[in-house]
Amino acid sequence: MANDAAQSDDVIVVDHVSKSFTLHHNRVSSLKGRFIGLFKQRWRQHVEHFHALTDVSLRVRRGEALALMGANGSGKSTLLQIVAGILRPTSGRLWTQGRIAPLIELGVGFNPELTGEENIYLNGSLYGYRNAEIRRLVAAIVEFSELGHFIDTPVKNYSSGMYMRLGFSVAVHLNPEVLLADEILAVGDVAFQQKCHDKIAELQRNGMTLLFVSHSMDTVKRFCHRYVRLDHGKIVESGVFERDQQADQIDGSVSSSTQQNANAAASSDRPGNAVT
Amino acid sequence: MPTAWCADCFNLCVDELGLLIKMAYITNTAGAFGRLWRYRDLVRNLVLKDIKVRYMGAALGFAWSLANPIVITFMYLMIFTYIFPSTQPHFPLFLVTGIVHWTLFSQVIGQSCEVLVANSGLIKKIYFPRLLIPVASVLVNLVLWLAALGVYLVFYPLLGGKFSLVLFVYPLYLLLFVAFIWGLTLILSTLYVEFRDLKHLIEVALQVLFWATPIIYEVGRVPRHIQEVMILSPLAEFTIIFQQIFYANKLPSLNITMAFFAWTVVVVGLGLWLFNRRVPESVERL
Repeated sequence: MANDAAQSDDVIVVDHVSKSFTLHHNRVSSLKGRFIGLFKQRWRQHVEHFHALTDVSLRVRRGEALALMGANGSGKSTLLQIVAGILRPTSGRLWTQGRIAPLIELGVGFNPELTGEENIYLNGSLYGYRNAEIRRLVAAIVEFSELGHFIDTPVKNYSSGMYMRLGFSVAVHLNPEVLLADEILAVGDVAFQQKCHDKIAELQRNGMTLLFVSHSMDTVKRFCHRYVRLDHGKIVESGVFERDQQADQIDGSVSSSTQQNANAAASSDRPGNAVT
Repeated sequence: MPTAWCADCFNLCVDELGLLIKMAYITNTAGAFGRLWRYRDLVRNLVLKDIKVRYMGAALGFAWSLANPIVITFMYLMIFTYIFPSTQPHFPLFLVTGIVHWTLFSQVIGQSCEVLVANSGLIKKIYFPRLLIPVASVLVNLVLWLAALGVYLVFYPLLGGKFSLVLFVYPLYLLLFVAFIWGLTLILSTLYVEFRDLKHLIEVALQVLFWATPIIYEVGRVPRHIQEVMILSPLAEFTIIFQQIFYANKLPSLNITMAFFAWTVVVVGLGLWLFNRRVPESVERL
């Protein structure tokens, strides 16, 4: 399967992936605890295998946007962590291609003592960028985040909104080929949220692939062409959002994506949707 | 004789390179080297961040990193000058040589357990080559320690040391020493995720090791049969080598060099194997 994937347009192939966690009840990691556990039941650790994902398969093509939906604990975030390479599947295979930016949490790796600008470099290098590459982006990141002169102050003095704005700005300016977003598009006030949404739409027009976890049907419909619904670690439903044969037209080329976007805007009942 | 030795030394280097390359294949990291190299700025940023945060707000800044080795050295000098006067010529030089190198070892190893656990926030949210975390951790301590080494080299002639050609082999041995420490950091940080007792065990072990290593006494003072056991310890080997280079101005013997090299290869190999094998699963337990 991975071999066909290499030839086609797929950027993410999840092939019969299962993931089980070992839950340690009464987790014992000291020698004392282990010793007492020999005699006392209450101290003994018992292990439970929790199946977070069972036999999940999906493919995402270049430029496509797939929504992962489902209730809390259905395995969405675990799947995202597997695609990001953070967790290793218990069985099955994962194949990805291109620069993946996992936005599982905003501002990961920000050090509170460092200034905003220093954190931009640190965060960028965590995604595998060279400092020289980031240097060219700093001005745009600072401008987008609307932090102004606060960029020179330690991040510990930021409000939570400022912190998230900076985290979001860094991630979207690194020009990811694949963006894995976990409930992160609710950043800041209404005006900034709109700006974030426009930015994501712009990146999508430039061919970025999006894997998006959200509970909000409105947001999901705005960005995604397809959805997969998970329940207790299994795919229970998958489908295409009905937006004017849009799903049939998906491919990476800019012209057709723009066309899709025009369709999306025309079919949308909300004003100001993705018409940049 | 020196030419023969140089040839040995050169062969050793070639062997070392060959071994490294072989090991890279074994652990399937041949392609990974390129990936690691791509992340070199991450290591730089992590090291700079750590140094900056550690000494932030302290008026003396990173000069504090020198405080510990200087105080320890001073205390021992007092003791061995006034309380138990040593008959050894240039004893302070002997003492300082051992202590400077011991400081690097004890500082890195003392913190080695926490390396992965302290960075769990990063490890659980972003994928990047995990091997770089222990690399950055060792480098932070190495950079701070180089300042101590600088101070040592300034005082070196004052303590009676002679700048001779022998000193040119020092970087090679230092590199091996650092590789050994790094390998040990890989092992300890991986094991600590599962066994939280390790940290306390290491604190105790470091105390024992300090006295079990010929740092403040000459290895010749130890009874013969104990000496034979003692010399098996990699730390004793390292210490003796550094004392030979700086104190006796002699090239370390080939035997001790081989032993030292073997220890490093074993520890680094074991560390890489354990780290690559355990860490992907350990992520869930951090």
